[in-house]
Amino acid sequence: MKQFGKILKFELKGYLRNKVFVGFTIFLVALIAIVMFIPNIVSVFKSDEANDTSPAELPTMLIYAEDEALGSIVKEYFGSAFVGYNVKLAEGDVDALKNDIISGNAECAFVMNSAASYTYYVNNLSMYDSNTAIADTVLQEVYRISAMVQNGISAELAGEIMSVQIESSTETLGKDQMQNFFYTYIMIFALYMVILLYGQMVATNVATEKSSRAMEVLITSAKPTAMMFGKVLASCIAGFSQLVLVFGTAILLYNVNGEALSNPLIASIFDIPIELFIYLIVFFVLGFLIYAFMFGAIGSTASKLEDINTSVMPITFLFIIAFMVVVFSMSSGTIDNTAMIVCSYIPFTSPMAMFTRICMSTVAWYEIAISITVLIGSTVGIGVLSAKIYRVGVLLYGMPPKFSTIIKTVFNNK
Amino acid sequence: MVLELKNIDKSFGEKEVLKGVSFTAEGGKAFGLLGRNGAGKTTSIRILMNVFPANSGEVLIDGKPIDYDKVGIGYLPEERGLYPKKLIIDQLVYFAELKGMSAKAAVKAVDYWLDRLSMSEYRNKRLDTLSKGNQQKIQLITALAHDPHIVILDEPFSGLDPVNAMLLKDVVKEQIAKGKVVLFSSHQMSYIEEFCDSIAIINAGKVAISGDLHDIKRNYVRDKLVVSTTNPEQIKADLGLICSEREDGTLLIQLASPDEKQAMMKRLVESYDIDEVKVFEPSLNDIFVEYAGARV
Repeated sequence: MKQFGKILKFELKGYLRNKVFVGFTIFLVALIAIVMFIPNIVSVFKSDEANDTSPAELPTMLIYAEDEALGSIVKEYFGSAFVGYNVKLAEGDVDALKNDIISGNAECAFVMNSAASYTYYVNNLSMYDSNTAIADTVLQEVYRISAMVQNGISAELAGEIMSVQIESSTETLGKDQMQNFFYTYIMIFALYMVILLYGQMVATNVATEKSSRAMEVLITSAKPTAMMFGKVLASCIAGFSQLVLVFGTAILLYNVNGEALSNPLIASIFDIPIELFIYLIVFFVLGFLIYAFMFGAIGSTASKLEDINTSVMPITFLFIIAFMVVVFSMSSGTIDNTAMIVCSYIPFTSPMAMFTRICMSTVAWYEIAISITVLIGSTVGIGVLSAKIYRVGVLLYGMPPKFSTIIKTVFNNK
Repeated sequence: MVLELKNIDKSFGEKEVLKGVSFTAEGGKAFGLLGRNGAGKTTSIRILMNVFPANSGEVLIDGKPIDYDKVGIGYLPEERGLYPKKLIIDQLVYFAELKGMSAKAAVKAVDYWLDRLSMSEYRNKRLDTLSKGNQQKIQLITALAHDPHIVILDEPFSGLDPVNAMLLKDVVKEQIAKGKVVLFSSHQMSYIEEFCDSIAIINAGKVAISGDLHDIKRNYVRDKLVVSTTNPEQIKADLGLICSEREDGTLLIQLASPDEKQAMMKRLVESYDIDEVKVFEPSLNDIFVEYAGARV
């Protein structure tokens, strides 16, 4: 226990003295600060530009119809529907209109074949061009109103009928997936990044000690369990403080600058209920530890730093699969699908899967309790096992041994 | 304090590395653990230090199983290496602390040893800025700073210049004088002969010979004569195959049995012009080649 404390202290000091680590943390905090102030920065520039924008600079949309009455009605309606365009009636024929578009005088054009049929001309059709969809809606409305007027309904009444507003309100009794989606996603992604980054760091750390042969002295001075737990917990504390700094900065700046960020999306991110925050920490720490232990064990089997990248691949894959299942389930809208339920009990996937389910669905307390218990048990188990692999692994030089060989040696060595 | 390894067996998978290794090392004396590469020296040392357990056998201190919490062991591994990117003082204090010292005592001990080995100027430098010999001295501090009861030095002299080798010799003698068990492992026989009172030669996982170095030498079969003469050619011609010339020009005569010693000496002195005749006393090197060279 005494050794563990000393190892933890030494390793933590190593992180704090690591210029890359400190630099990266400062960079992240600065980045967050900039992101949080983007609305202010943008609004400074916007207020300057706003006065300069005149209708003449809007792209031109041409309307052409054989029937001039139809043309002017359509122009009127389109003028109010397409606020981003300067809607004009075409002066020449269809060919002249095409030339206007090709030469860039106009951006697009609607040639009305009849009240319910048109051809849309555009030079390069953008992926996000929704003009035809808007036109369809507008034309449908025009058509319906004129049909109603023709059948003896007054224009005002027809307008009222067409523009009736349905009032509705939603009361969420369980979880609001829309509101929770963003912070769940951010947290899952942070967990993903931190585990991969720090896991790799733990593996590299162990392999460096081994390749520099500092291990030869270490292994005779300290118990492998103390070494493993000290190292992994130090990386956990380092990673966690980095996150607390980054998210702390974000929360602090949100409180300072909240008004400028009055976007419901951003508000939802900062609106995490406290019990979810506690679950977040629990799953975060446990998920981090279980993977860091595995990364540490893998690091101990590599003799050279170059071997690490290939050695850690199975763990990385396992982790990416877990991430994929969670992200796809989140976006599919059915959080409680079979894959997610299974994943929320498997220790390697439960930190992400169970946390997501708690955030976005309603999960019974005993399900959470089982999941956390399994996770704690496996974390300790994996920790002890990885310490044993570490003891065997660090003294093996040369080719990275096969996994089965290591396991055999570990259990024969008791 | 008497350190004893008793019937140690160890195998890694199918491979038997140690087959009943036993030896005894006493406090206040240096003990030489010899053997060719891969004979099982490092494995024996690791079992002694509890890095991994033996399959069977015991490690005893004064006849009782060793208590690793009470018996301090200092180790200078053959494969040298510490943290290249960390400050020397930081890592030395860390290792001393891991061995159970308080932070304050560790700093004090490390400073004493830095001064003793004239390395104080490197205290706050990174390890990788030092020359190989100086890194070696830093590594020696990790083995000695916590004032261990047992000091294990694996190839301590490799890479040291003569001045540093002298310094290390003094340190080792001092440790022996303090009554510690000093265990040497080396291929440089001259150093072993200089320091060690007793040795064990390990060959293919077995102790080929062990005990007091003088006894081993004396018990060496006395069936060879070393002859210094003015006309070696004549003797060689007369004696034939049993006589060979050594590098220094003397002759080595192999007797059929030690009993012929007297008769052969008489014959040589009477028949030829002889400067000196003596019974061949093996050097440690000869003993090593004989016991460690044979494949078992």
